[in-house]
Amino acid sequence: MPHSRFWISLVVALGASPAAAQQRVDVRRAVTPDVYVRITGTFAALRVTGWARDSLVLTGSLPKGTRVEGGVGGTPGQPARGAKFYIEPAVSGSAAAGSLDLMVPAGATVWAKTGSATIEVSAIGGGLDLNVIGGSIGVTGNPRELNVESMDGTVDVNGSPGWMRIKTATGDIAVRGSAPDAGFTTVGGNLTVRDGTYERVRIESVTGNVTFGATLARAGNLTIDSHSGTIELQLPPKASLDIEATTIAGSILNTVTSRRPTPGREGRGDELTLNLGIGDARATLRSFKGNIRLLTR
Amino acid sequence: MTGHLSLNTLNVLADGLATPDEQGLAAAHLARCTLCQGALDALRATMRLAAALPRSMDPPSEVWRDIRATIHAQGRADRRWWSVPGRLAAAAAALIVASSATTALVVQHYRSPEATVAVRQPVLPVAWQAAELGYLSSVEQLRGQFERQRGRLSPATIAAVERSLGQVDAAIAEARGALMRDQANAALSELLASNYRQKVELLRRASQLDAST
Repeated sequence: MPHSRFWISLVVALGASPAAAQQRVDVRRAVTPDVYVRITGTFAALRVTGWARDSLVLTGSLPKGTRVEGGVGGTPGQPARGAKFYIEPAVSGSAAAGSLDLMVPAGATVWAKTGSATIEVSAIGGGLDLNVIGGSIGVTGNPRELNVESMDGTVDVNGSPGWMRIKTATGDIAVRGSAPDAGFTTVGGNLTVRDGTYERVRIESVTGNVTFGATLARAGNLTIDSHSGTIELQLPPKASLDIEATTIAGSILNTVTSRRPTPGREGRGDELTLNLGIGDARATLRSFKGNIRLLTR
Repeated sequence: MTGHLSLNTLNVLADGLATPDEQGLAAAHLARCTLCQGALDALRATMRLAAALPRSMDPPSEVWRDIRATIHAQGRADRRWWSVPGRLAAAAAALIVASSATTALVVQHYRSPEATVAVRQPVLPVAWQAAELGYLSSVEQLRGQFERQRGRLSPATIAAVERSLGQVDAAIAEARGALMRDQANAALSELLASNYRQKVELLRRASQLDAST
């Protein structure tokens, strides 16, 4: 028997402060522990927090006239399994303004997409899919999956997602934590990965500098490709991995062992192969004209 | 031995000339190897493009000389791929496109003697040209999507996208030029592939921006 579905209209309190020309948003619903929430549109700030309750609460303040559409779907009398919110400014193309605070069960999956905004997420154990053009994205916690895309916005992650993909055009990326499977892509942003342990990591940059100071797990694999950015690999004192570093026109600096790089093909660039310990892991570093540095932490 | 399907096998598969046994062996490998599957897809994309070309197209004489030089360079290699008229047209198309397009890719595993074009003008190996066509096709499609919604995006967003695309294009041009001069350089081919992935990915993201963002 098909379930009847309906959308609860949003409770949007208007005119709370006429002088400030703001309207309040206040949505509260019982939801399943793994509720799927989508929020998109124009706003300046979004804070998403996971909590140990089976309910969704969206509060905040938006410029007066902003349309808040969508809502919480589901069968009447039962916890909702999904919610969608569309935030549209009164005047199309107007600058992002207003802030929202979203509380969801820790096991929720949250999808958020906006223009220039600050998105801060914490304590979410489900999936996260976050997309901005500018501003910043910050994630704290251990989401099952983390997918972040940004043009100019910076990305900071502090936690251990089970799977992680972060892509920016010029936004910087900073990650502290661990992940079995991680991929980072940036055109011109600077990327820093510190702490934690990784099993499979692929990093690609065009002009951005890359610093990898985390640890590779046993049988782990790290690949870093950069066209003109500097690649810096910071190794733990007793690293056990095989390293293959190649530059086409850049140089390689090795301060980990006494081994010196050899000239590359046709006498340009450098090549260096290191076998540290018993070679538990493997790192492949390639740069066209950026320099590669191998250091001990 | 790389363990990957040879260029000849890929061409036989693309031509539909593989025996049932060959098909079975190849299918098992393709199911677990995205590299070979990608190369096969690129070959098939090339054939589709070639099928759309006029049957009586007359390429410049120097292109024919290059094709003959390529065939000659392949010596006793299995000739099935070029003996098929459609594939011969594909080779011509690949050379023409390569002479005017920006870049190329592919992986070191296919850089066997039979996959390397020995011509006077610096070009990428034939197999790489085929893969490049796949990338260029994706770029063209995504670029079209991005252009269609350009008017709905803010000037700042467009400028940011174009700035990054310019950086990627410059990197592609530089790596491509270097690879044409040093075709056996595995690191170069990987870097060029990385740059192409960056361009496709950047355009994909740009094409998904909308007015609300």
